[in-house]
Amino acid sequence: MFTEAYMQRALLVALMLGPLCGFIGVFVTARRMSFFSDTVSHAALAGIAVGFWMGFQDPTIPMTLVSLGVAMLMLWLREKTDLLNDTIMALLLSGSVAFGIVVMSLLKGYRGELDRYLFGDILSVGPVDVGLAAVVVAIAGGWVLWNLNSLALITAHEDLAHVSGISVRALNYAFVILLTVVVSLSIRLLGIILVTSLLVIPPATARNLANNLRQQILGSIAIGALGGFGGVAASFLLNLPCGPSIVLVCVGMFLLTLASRSLLRLGRRQSPAP
Amino acid sequence: MAEIKFHRAGLAVEVRGLRLRLGDTQVLRGVDLHVPRGAIVAIIGPNGSGKTTLLRCLLGLETPDEGEIRLLGEPVGRKVLSRVAYVPQRLQLDRNFILSVREFLSLRLQAAKGWMWQGHRKTDEQLRGALADVGVESLFDRPIAGLSGGQLQRVLIAFSLLTKPELLLLDEPTAGVDNPGERSFYELITGIHQRLKLTVVLVSHDLSMVYRHATRVYALNGVVCCEGTPEEVMNADSLRQAYGIHVTPYHHDHPPGHHHVH
Repeated sequence: MFTEAYMQRALLVALMLGPLCGFIGVFVTARRMSFFSDTVSHAALAGIAVGFWMGFQDPTIPMTLVSLGVAMLMLWLREKTDLLNDTIMALLLSGSVAFGIVVMSLLKGYRGELDRYLFGDILSVGPVDVGLAAVVVAIAGGWVLWNLNSLALITAHEDLAHVSGISVRALNYAFVILLTVVVSLSIRLLGIILVTSLLVIPPATARNLANNLRQQILGSIAIGALGGFGGVAASFLLNLPCGPSIVLVCVGMFLLTLASRSLLRLGRRQSPAP
Repeated sequence: MAEIKFHRAGLAVEVRGLRLRLGDTQVLRGVDLHVPRGAIVAIIGPNGSGKTTLLRCLLGLETPDEGEIRLLGEPVGRKVLSRVAYVPQRLQLDRNFILSVREFLSLRLQAAKGWMWQGHRKTDEQLRGALADVGVESLFDRPIAGLSGGQLQRVLIAFSLLTKPELLLLDEPTAGVDNPGERSFYELITGIHQRLKLTVVLVSHDLSMVYRHATRVYALNGVVCCEGTPEEVMNADSLRQAYGIHVTPYHHDHPPGHHHVH
C-alpha cells in the first residue's frame, strides 16, 4: 500500500490536512461555522466547473478562488444587508452548486469528474496538491497557533476580545480566508459533500473526553490524523471512495468516545463523591 | 486653561453631547456624564433607555454620531482601553465553548500576544491569586460551562482585574442573580473598590441595590434626566416623570433589529 506513488501522496496529504482540519475545526464548531464551511465547499463546485470550462487540467486554483469569492460575498452580505445568515448561506450554497452542475453538463466528457469531486478520490491527489498542502499546513497551522489566545477570546466573547485590544474584525476575516483555503484543498480527499465533516467530527470527538480547550485541541488534531490515515488506508484496501471512508472512521471514533464518556459518567455517579 | 486640564485629569469618564442613532431609533439624545476618579457610579434606566448603548460607546464598540468621550483623560482607543476593564453580562459568554477557568483567565494575560498557554507556575500563582481575591479559588480547573451564574460572574470580575485596571465598567452585573447573590456581589464590588482604589461604573435597571452602594447615580432615558446621590435621584420628581420608577411597570417596546438597546 505504501509503495504506490499515488498512495504515498494521498496518505501524506491526509496526514497533513487531517490534523490541520482537526485544529481549525475546534474553532469552526465552537463558533458555529460548520454551515459556513459547507457553503464554501459547495461553492468550489462552481469553481471546478469554471476551471474546466477555461481549460484547466487541474482546477485547484479556480476552485479556491471561487470559494474565496463566495466566502467574501457571504461576509459582505451579512454586514451590508439585513438578510438572515442562514438565508445567505443557503442561497449561495444552492446557487453555486446549480451553476457548477449546469456548466459541467454543458461541457462534454466531464461527468466522471463530477463524482470524483463530490465524494473525493485518492487518485486525484497530484504532486502539486502535496506541495500545496504542505505550504497551507505551515501557514494556516502557524497562524492559528500564533493567534490562539485571540481566537479563543473572540470565540468566548467578541466584545471582551475587542476591549482586550484584539482586532476582532481583521482576525475574523483572516480566519475565514484560511478556512476557505483549507476546505478547498481538502476537497480532493473528502469531496465537496463531506469535507465539512473533517472540521466537525474530530473536535466533537475530542470534546467528548476533554476537560479544557488544550485537551480538545490536542485530541482533535490526533483524531484528524487517525481519521485521515485510517480512511485513506481503508479506501485503498477495500476499494472504497475516499471521502466516505475517512468520515466513517471519524464517526466510529466519535461513537467510541461518546460511549466511553457515558460509561465514565455512569461510573462517577455510582462511586461516592470524594 | 491649566485649570481645565487639571479638572479633566480628575475625571475617569467624561461624556459630552453624545448622540447615537441605531436604525430608526435615536437611542442617545445628547448624553453628558462626568464621573470623578475613585467614584462608584451607577447608570440606571429602564430597558431601551440607552444605558447599554452608552456603555458600548465608552468601550469603543459603537461609534457615536456626535459628541465626545474621554476615559481617564484620553479619547477612546486601544491605548486607554488597556487601562479599562469590562465585565459583560455573564449570560453573553458562550458557555458551549470548552474553556477551563484557568484557560479563560490566562487569555486576559496573554491576549493578542500569541503565546500558547501552558502551565507556567508563576502565571498559575497569579491566576489563583486573582480567583482568591473574588473568593472562588476552588474553581481554578473547572470548565466555564459548568459554573453557576454567580460563580461565572466572579470569574468574569477576576478576569477583568488581572490587568490592574483604573476603571471598571460593569454591564447589568446582577441581572438574573437572586437577592442574597446580589447583596454579596455588591459587597464584593465595594471591597474591590476600596482595596484597588479604582473607579467603578455599573449599568443597571434596578435602583434598589445600587442605592446602598453607589456614590453617585445617573438616571438615563436617552439623555441624563436626573443625577445626584442615590437619595437625591430616588426622590427626584423628574425621575418618576421620566420613566415612572415604582409607579407604572415598564412595557417592553423593542423596535425590530435593535438588540443592542437594553
